[in-house]
Amino acid sequence: MIKNCLITLLLITGMTAMAQQQPVVKVSGEVARPLALYPETLRQMKRATVSLKDRDGNDHAYTGVPVQVILEQAGVTTGKTLRGENLSKYLLVRCADGYEVLFSLAELDSSFTDRVVILADESGGQPLPAGKGPFRLVVPGEKKPARSSFQVTEMIIRFAKD
Amino acid sequence: MITGLLLTMVIMAAQLPAGQGPVPVALSWPDYFGSRVFLPADNPLTEEGIQLGRRLFYEKALSVNRQMSCATCHQQAKAFTDGQRFSAGADGVLQPRNTMSLANLPWVRQLFWDGRAGSLEEQALTPLTAPHEMGQPLDVSAVGLRQIKGYPRLFRRAFGSDSITGERIVKALAQFERTLISANSRYDQYLQGKYRPSASESSGMALFYANTDTARGIRGAGCGHCHGGPKTYSDLFHNNGLDSLPPDGGRQQVTGQAYDKGRFRVATLRNIALTAPYMHDGRFPDLESVIDHYSEHIAHSETLSPFLQQPLRLTTQEKKDLLAFLQLLTDSTFITDPRFSNPFNHH
Repeated sequence: MIKNCLITLLLITGMTAMAQQQPVVKVSGEVARPLALYPETLRQMKRATVSLKDRDGNDHAYTGVPVQVILEQAGVTTGKTLRGENLSKYLLVRCADGYEVLFSLAELDSSFTDRVVILADESGGQPLPAGKGPFRLVVPGEKKPARSSFQVTEMIIRFAKD
Repeated sequence: MITGLLLTMVIMAAQLPAGQGPVPVALSWPDYFGSRVFLPADNPLTEEGIQLGRRLFYEKALSVNRQMSCATCHQQAKAFTDGQRFSAGADGVLQPRNTMSLANLPWVRQLFWDGRAGSLEEQALTPLTAPHEMGQPLDVSAVGLRQIKGYPRLFRRAFGSDSITGERIVKALAQFERTLISANSRYDQYLQGKYRPSASESSGMALFYANTDTARGIRGAGCGHCHGGPKTYSDLFHNNGLDSLPPDGGRQQVTGQAYDKGRFRVATLRNIALTAPYMHDGRFPDLESVIDHYSEHIAHSETLSPFLQQPLRLTTQEKKDLLAFLQLLTDSTFITDPRFSNPFNHH
């Protein structure tokens, strides 16, 4: 009886804790420092605004943290260290609904490209709408916005080994 | 020298005569399924493991009342479902969600309607032990199996020793489940150039995969957004507009995130005509009701899938065509394959 009550209590506590989960993007894999990026973490990092032509055909301004800044903070091989075998590394971006998109690290690096890909948390000074936010990857300059994925939850860096 | 010796030993091990160790099994599937499969390194498939898993799948001694096996709710003839809205457990209590069909599980990374299990081994724990399912702790099941003639030998052949443990029970079950590959429907035969679909089936197929493009005069139901390509499965969670206030939080109960409210795992459509009733709560008795739902009864909410925001408003003919395509996904050899059948019936 007491055991059952304890289990119930644990379940309720667990569920309450679940209900209070903060949205977060976890950065893991081939990193020196795994990160957990919360809304306030992103607001304190170096930010950038980029433009994206969305599915409605119109340009929208998105603001957030350049992916390169996130990778640097996690100790991923960027800039001068992005050479040799490190060029076979990729970033897998995973979203809340299970959707996944992939980039080679060179696609995201300012020593290779002028394009700035960001992890956005606002657009037009407002938080992102419920269906897209709180964190959206914004990949400017692509013909379709399929890699500008919604509700990002994880960024995983790995070596391609095949 | 040592390397050479090791290599020789490896080669010798590989050449041991049959019966000296479990025989590795490689799954096969059509190229168009892709090889994004999740097969744990610590539970390789073997002939003996699969054979044991099949037996355990149909073994009623794994339930607290000796009346239930996995196959009670996962019946082969119904593509491993039971036709019930909610299956009853060994204690008679109904499950909170509809029994999921079993097919092409190596492509599923997160099991259950809410994706809370990361492997088939982990998944099997719940139905085996939950009080309102088979209701028997694994160690009790292990003790029970030791008393049944034949099992020590089967475990020895599959895992190298007589030891019967909960871990080995779920590993063998998972091995068997991974072999449940359904890839011989008429749709597969069409993809392999062996079947010519009817006009209605062809229209349904086109409608299933296309997205509506008014400018180009294309009608589409966009089903492929979530149900993917020829596997008709993608590893995704979506709120498919069943309720504006979802009574079951679904994925949210696992992640605790508001944006996951009312999201459930996208189900495979393989053998879908055999697995009524439909949805996580089994609310739709037939496929016509499912198609009607997507066509004109989507309930809006903050977490509704972005792909279901616009009503499809399918015509009567379009609905018939979609249904014809869905029926094309029935694999009659899968539901009669003796490799997946009840081994106790053959005695």
